[in-house]
Amino acid sequence: MCQVDEEYSEQLEKRTVPSVSQNCVKCKDGSAVLIIRAGDAFCRCCFKEYFVHKFRAMLGKNRVIFPGEKVLLAVSGGPASSAMLSQVQEGLSRDAPKKLRFIPGILHIDEGGACGQSLEERERSTAQLEAIFRATGYPFHTVPLEQVFELPSSVLEAAASAPQRPDGSYKAAVDQFLQSAKARGSSSPGEGGPDGDPAVREAQVRLSRLETRDAPNGPARLGLGRSEDLGRLLSSVRTLTAKEDMLQTLRHHLMVHTARTHGYSKVMMGDSCSRLAVKLLSNIAQGRGATLATDTGFSDPRYGDVVIIRPMRDYSSKEIAFYNKMFGVPSVFVPGLDTKASDKASIPLLTESFVTKLQTDFPPPSAPSTGPVRSYARSTLKQKKPLPSTPRWCLRGCLRSGSLGRPGRPSAGGAAPRGPAGRGLWSRRGHLLLLPHVSLGCGAPAPPDLRSLLCYSCRLTVKDMSAVDTLPPYIVSEAEHRSHRLRMKQEISEFLLDEEEEDDDDEEAA
Amino acid sequence: LPQIQSVRRIRDLQWHQRGTNGLKVRVNRVQQRPKTGHSLCKECFFWAFEEEVHQTIISARLFSPGETVGIGASGGKDSTVLAHVMKVLNERYNYGLTLLLLSVDEGITGYRDDSLETVKRNQQQYELPLTIVSYEELYGWTMDAIVKQVGLKNNCTFCGVFRRQALDRGAMMLNVDKICTGHNADDVAETVLMNVLRGDIARLRRCTAISTASEGEGVVPRCKPLKYAYEKEIVLYAYFKKLDYFSTECVYSPNAYRGHARAFLKDLEAVRPSAIIDVIHSGENLSVREGVRMPVQGSCSRCGYISSQALCKACVLLEGLNRGLPRLGIGKHHRLHGKILAKEPLTKEEERKLKAVDF
Amino acid sequence: MAAPITLHLEFGGGAELLFEGVKDHQVTLPSQSQPWDMKQLLVWIRANMLKERPELFVQGDTVRPGILVLINDADWELMGELTYELQDRDTVVFISTLHGG
Repeated sequence: MCQVDEEYSEQLEKRTVPSVSQNCVKCKDGSAVLIIRAGDAFCRCCFKEYFVHKFRAMLGKNRVIFPGEKVLLAVSGGPASSAMLSQVQEGLSRDAPKKLRFIPGILHIDEGGACGQSLEERERSTAQLEAIFRATGYPFHTVPLEQVFELPSSVLEAAASAPQRPDGSYKAAVDQFLQSAKARGSSSPGEGGPDGDPAVREAQVRLSRLETRDAPNGPARLGLGRSEDLGRLLSSVRTLTAKEDMLQTLRHHLMVHTARTHGYSKVMMGDSCSRLAVKLLSNIAQGRGATLATDTGFSDPRYGDVVIIRPMRDYSSKEIAFYNKMFGVPSVFVPGLDTKASDKASIPLLTESFVTKLQTDFPPPSAPSTGPVRSYARSTLKQKKPLPSTPRWCLRGCLRSGSLGRPGRPSAGGAAPRGPAGRGLWSRRGHLLLLPHVSLGCGAPAPPDLRSLLCYSCRLTVKDMSAVDTLPPYIVSEAEHRSHRLRMKQEISEFLLDEEEEDDDDEEAA
Repeated sequence: LPQIQSVRRIRDLQWHQRGTNGLKVRVNRVQQRPKTGHSLCKECFFWAFEEEVHQTIISARLFSPGETVGIGASGGKDSTVLAHVMKVLNERYNYGLTLLLLSVDEGITGYRDDSLETVKRNQQQYELPLTIVSYEELYGWTMDAIVKQVGLKNNCTFCGVFRRQALDRGAMMLNVDKICTGHNADDVAETVLMNVLRGDIARLRRCTAISTASEGEGVVPRCKPLKYAYEKEIVLYAYFKKLDYFSTECVYSPNAYRGHARAFLKDLEAVRPSAIIDVIHSGENLSVREGVRMPVQGSCSRCGYISSQALCKACVLLEGLNRGLPRLGIGKHHRLHGKILAKEPLTKEEERKLKAVDF
Repeated sequence: MAAPITLHLEFGGGAELLFEGVKDHQVTLPSQSQPWDMKQLLVWIRANMLKERPELFVQGDTVRPGILVLINDADWELMGELTYELQDRDTVVFISTLHGG
């Protein structure tokens, strides 16, 4: 196929010979130590300033974390989440007006059991991480992945989100916070040292008295037999793509559950721009188009009461690696499922190698927005999750959206064409899936029929499983619950005249 | 899509069973279908393939009885299979359509002249009337002449823009109600990826639509009946049916960037065979936040074709060619549209920039 | 004839797994007719140090895309990349930014 309307080719020249420029583009006299984008060489000092500023600017711009709010930092030990932790420390310790004012806690999910690590190896990396966490003075929770087998099925219900705060309220809340802090007797803002804010300090003291490990040490902490359950689950998943997808799903559930039980209303994840670019593209390849915006955007409100935010989404992995190296940010390398796997072992790995190669062959030129990675980020920014309205659910916790399968909705401007296309096929789709056609499938035992309840891409993952009864109980029981409800709904709908309307729009409201 | 897949699965099984049950005597399994993983014999494969296209046409209501439909025919495998299947289905299911072939002669020696010979043979094989519109008569330029002026790097921009308009002009001439093109599932998936890579949200939203409504004067609605057909199956269909098609790459189409995307898609397919349909599914389900500014469609003040600018892309490109400033249409030079319309000369500086033939 | 040079090599971000999990290495490059540059260093690493899966570290004549290189704590893009001429007691750091190292 040839290239209709491809005007970008002139901007995407093949890379030229590396230029050897020695001075910082910002301060003009420091000697440069790294190139961020083609042509932008920074010296050590300006780079640090740029990096630190970007973090607080990201939080400041989005205004989703209110003063005094409890925020759980999800730290895997990898470079991006470690850099995030260091930025939070940096931001909280400032006495400048731009100080961060939330109450942090740390969550580390120990996934060693899924990645074939021995107990000793797991203990060793956990100990290394906990030493880092302890040094921050923040409360921390180390949770083994095996705990997903003990989750309640309520984790799959999106709880009611906090009432929408009106637009001006962020500033008001900050002002009020500052005033009440003053009233409590902090005479000058900088006085109290690094943790000068009494309210924050007080809360931190309170939090640090919490038990920091969610279960006792050693094999017992994994729960009896749970590591076998995890092993069975993962060995029933046939492809690495589906394994990674499953792991990510379980990780999310555990994070949300931990946040809920400890009263955190936000979870910060360390996804970098490079990571999100890969995620965006590999999610597209796995049929997750409908949830792209929530999967890669700054904030992910799908769980309702716990909002996931991604404050590192403007940093490239190169920036992070350099920052950590130059400023001694400790991180711990924990091998994952994909360690030392080949490029073509799974969709995410394939996508990662595609994206990094593209970055090397077509580096973002002087205009920063034309590079592939930036483009991804840009397109995500513009998408929004459609409102959920049908009863399919996604293991990732989002309800399957009603507009699935319909051709793109016309914009407000009316520019997008909407042919007579789609309608006939798509509006009937919901019904068709309720038919027992799935029994024609690969014959995997699936009572209750889990697959028919799932969203498109979770179904792809489950399709790669040899036995779905290895799934954690909370998923299986929720599936039973939902299919039961669906059956009732169907029975009832036989008495209703206008079932077409009902089925399309009102299922989940019931 | 789930529906399509399930229909597929059922049909594959039914037809194959029919085969093995002795209704057909010898069953030679010719293909394992990437979508369903079922092996089918030749006859069942033909039937399944045609039925799927039929399902696509019916469920998306692509045509109405009595319509005249122009099949964009390049002589390549996709459009040849499309022409063949459209003819078969139109007769089998009494669509009541008047079908005709519509070809564009871009004027590429050693490529289009040869492939047009194929189309001419198709015309006789399928007994469908054929009309050829050429760049030379429409624009006064053949692609060979354009490449001579602009070089190899951006010629595809010219060709794509001109072809789109040429098809419309041809369709208007013939009073066609709809145009259908041979875009297959691989093409659509690839376009989704390309538009993501480019951050082109407007096109990303349009590119998975199976059909476009008329966007205005002079634009004929288009549809892609092969949207869910894998390239692999199209090639096999053409091969087993011994269809007469032309299989040479365009001599002017080297594009590293699209090549990357295509290779990536093929790799994805190797990791997970349903990946192509999964990408399309994703593309169909992207939704764009309200309030994102989209270009407003107007019409070109020179030729009347739809355009979001004062001049349509084809007119700007043509103007660039005629003034010897090929860069005019490459990249964004909207500010200059007023000058072009008023037939004013450009400044020295502007000319210098647009002339630079380092591409 | 250039004298042998000693380098400090460091592998991080998971790249160390290809070197038996060892992050820091002191190496001595033998004397040769021309001065050592980065391109030759990569060839040498591949031949003498890489224990497994060389394609996860070098591809073609350069490092695999996604692996960052720092020469004496500065981005190698500032130093001429493959053409940088190595000096005695230089520090070269390789950091993988790829998932899973």
